Amino acid sequence: MNAPPSSAAAPPGTLVPGRWFDGLSSQARPVLVGLQRTPKGPSLALHPLSQPGAAPTVFPWGEVGWPEAWSERRPQQRVVVDLRDQGSLEIDAVAQWHAALAEAGARPSLAERMQTRWPVLLGVTAVAVIGLTLFYRYGTPWAATELTRFVPLSWETSVASNVLTQMDKGTLKPSKLPQERQAALKARFDTLVQALPTQLQRYPGYAPTYTLSFRSGMGANAFALPGGTVVMTDGLAKAAEKKGLSDDALIGVLAHEIGHVANRHTTRMVVQQGVLQMGMGLALGDVSGIVSTGASVLTGLAYSRNHEREADCFAIAVMSHAKLPTAPMGKLLLAIAQDEDDEEKAARKKAATAAKEGASAPAEGSASTTAEPKSPEALGPVWSLLSSHPDTVERATELEQGHAMHCPKRG
Amino acid sequence: MDHQQSGAGAAPASNFAQEIDAHPLEFTGSGGEYFRVWIVNVLLTILTLGFYTPWARRRTAQYFYGHTLVAGSPLEFTAQQRRMVMGFVMLVMITIAYNIAVNTGQDTAVSLFLLAGALLAPFIWGSAMRFRLGSTRWRGLRLQFTASWREVYVASWPVFAIALVWIGVFFGIQYLAPESAGALQELAADESGEADLPTMTAAIWGLVVLGLLLSVLCFIRLEYNYKSLLVLRAQVGAESGRWKPVYMDFIKVWAATVAVFLLFVVGISAGLAVLAGGSFALIAGLKDKWGALIFVVFAVAFIAGIFLMFLASAPARAYREARMFQLMWDNIGLSQVARFKCQLRTGRYVLLRIKNLFLTLLTLGLYRPFARVSEYRMKVESVTLHVKGGVDQVAGAMVRQQQQGGIGDALADAAGLDLIG
Repeated sequence: MNAPPSSAAAPPGTLVPGRWFDGLSSQARPVLVGLQRTPKGPSLALHPLSQPGAAPTVFPWGEVGWPEAWSERRPQQRVVVDLRDQGSLEIDAVAQWHAALAEAGARPSLAERMQTRWPVLLGVTAVAVIGLTLFYRYGTPWAATELTRFVPLSWETSVASNVLTQMDKGTLKPSKLPQERQAALKARFDTLVQALPTQLQRYPGYAPTYTLSFRSGMGANAFALPGGTVVMTDGLAKAAEKKGLSDDALIGVLAHEIGHVANRHTTRMVVQQGVLQMGMGLALGDVSGIVSTGASVLTGLAYSRNHEREADCFAIAVMSHAKLPTAPMGKLLLAIAQDEDDEEKAARKKAATAAKEGASAPAEGSASTTAEPKSPEALGPVWSLLSSHPDTVERATELEQGHAMHCPKRG
Repeated sequence: MDHQQSGAGAAPASNFAQEIDAHPLEFTGSGGEYFRVWIVNVLLTILTLGFYTPWARRRTAQYFYGHTLVAGSPLEFTAQQRRMVMGFVMLVMITIAYNIAVNTGQDTAVSLFLLAGALLAPFIWGSAMRFRLGSTRWRGLRLQFTASWREVYVASWPVFAIALVWIGVFFGIQYLAPESAGALQELAADESGEADLPTMTAAIWGLVVLGLLLSVLCFIRLEYNYKSLLVLRAQVGAESGRWKPVYMDFIKVWAATVAVFLLFVVGISAGLAVLAGGSFALIAGLKDKWGALIFVVFAVAFIAGIFLMFLASAPARAYREARMFQLMWDNIGLSQVARFKCQLRTGRYVLLRIKNLFLTLLTLGLYRPFARVSEYRMKVESVTLHVKGGVDQVAGAMVRQQQQGGIGDALADAAGLDLIG
């Protein structure tokens, strides 16, 4: 039974000895297997050795589960061919079987070619790397931008009110700015909102109610919550005053924040993280959690930088539309950044340890990029203005000049 | 325990008239080859944005099955690709629907999803097992899982018992201390945690501990029920599975696992304490010069501590797996025809798992295929099949069997039930 005689009356073609299990019992029937070339792929014929001369049972190509070759050099000890309801076929002469298959015109699948041939594997690896890069660079942001169209404004406002309530319990205090000063800034803010050029709308039909609130705490800062709430800290107003800058600087910053809202950056970030985590999880989940989380974190950082640039462009466009200068805003940005640097130098020791802690806890970093707009305190005092620190000088210069290279030209 | 059966090992028992052959199970795959299988799967999965997953699962299963030789004949994984793809697509749609419901705050839909998931959990398990056994063939004979849905749900009673236990605990607390239960409710309702924590009396603590204990016992019972049902209702041809372990055996394994875990935690904590003591001395010496360094040392020590606690549970998990594997494969068989013997060495398996864990972490996951092969090999090759009267006498009583749908498998995959292992 284990070694079927190979000298039986041999029909033409290459014949491979095998054992056929018909699915009705575990008893084997010695057979010779013939492979015939057909247009779709080889067909398989079983010649039972117990009845020499009997008509062979023929299986067309599509009715056989062809086993994959796993290695070119080391043939499997024994392969099993799936004959569906007709049972299975065991073959010991594995090398001979694969040779006969190739001779009968079998075309291995892509997976099998990658499995057995290094050049194919390397080629597909290159394509995968390029594909992943493109997906990561263009695919995800595009998908997030499109998906965001389906997120209702009511969701954004409810998230925003929750976040603001949480922050009011935490780092934020009521503003100490005089009422008339607040009213004046609010009036200018409202004028700016009224005059928003419609061609800047990325999301047609998205009409949030823009409101300006004042708080103290969190240093010199301003941030936007999804759904239209813009918060400005007393520190920012004081910083502008200290540098002798006009209110145009503050209005510029507010225009930048309005840009975050109009472009729905928070929502896009949330959706992006979702898309990315799903994509990366599906694609890389089997490699390791570390790699896929790392990829998400890096992308999150890259996107947040892009969002800052987009908001800058928005601010430049709005300000020029309203015939206001953007230079004061650039100066304010630089001034705050310098103050930050000085403070940092003063507290170098503490900062160094904090940075090290941050670097050794990537999970924490990822959390803060995911929920960036929700927890500005996690990234230091001035994230929403200066979240991409190394770029600040460049950004400020662009704002001072009133135009930026990366901004799309608008008719 | 049962002499008639346990005597069928190396020295054939005299009360068996026919001769008994021993067939050690073999695994002929290799880590390098499976690495290729895996990397090909990863690449194609990336290129198809994840939709290669069902094909990848099938290739993986076919690699492991095809290299597992039982009495000289490889196992065969015969699931139809089309059904696996359909199952996967359905799973993706369910996941997307659930995520949309969660992210848009539709609480009713979310609770419905969760409730349906809980009620359907036994059904999912059952269909996964049907799929798995129904897709396995050996010497042309299909395995079968013949349990009825009623049997599956009856075997799942511990799931519902756990729910009852916690309802009981809640009402017990309300009875013992009405104001605490009120406070608990308040606590649950108010996320900010401003409600006062209820004063915990000894009785309440006792009740909670009792609830936990009962839950653990129910969980072990569930594992026992499922494993025994799987074996007893597994069928190869006309022969069905035989099962000897009792519930107590499972409890013993779990108790031993807890002991191993505690041992490692104590050991690692002691090691950490010594290390920390050393570094305190070190820091005391350096304090004047490098004040900042202290924070670094603390940060590193903290992260290392968390990491070590994760590692501390790894030996216990490996230990449980090895003991369960022995318990199963030393005590099951196929009616009066065949039985299995298992010689897995627990210590060796735990060491292998620890080694693999370290190498996998060091290589950012690239060692995983090698780890998987080495663990699978050690388990498979520890098992010997003893067959009475030759392996070619099993008759296929069942005739045609309809193919199982792949959704059960896809859901089981999502739930972390691995096809291999």
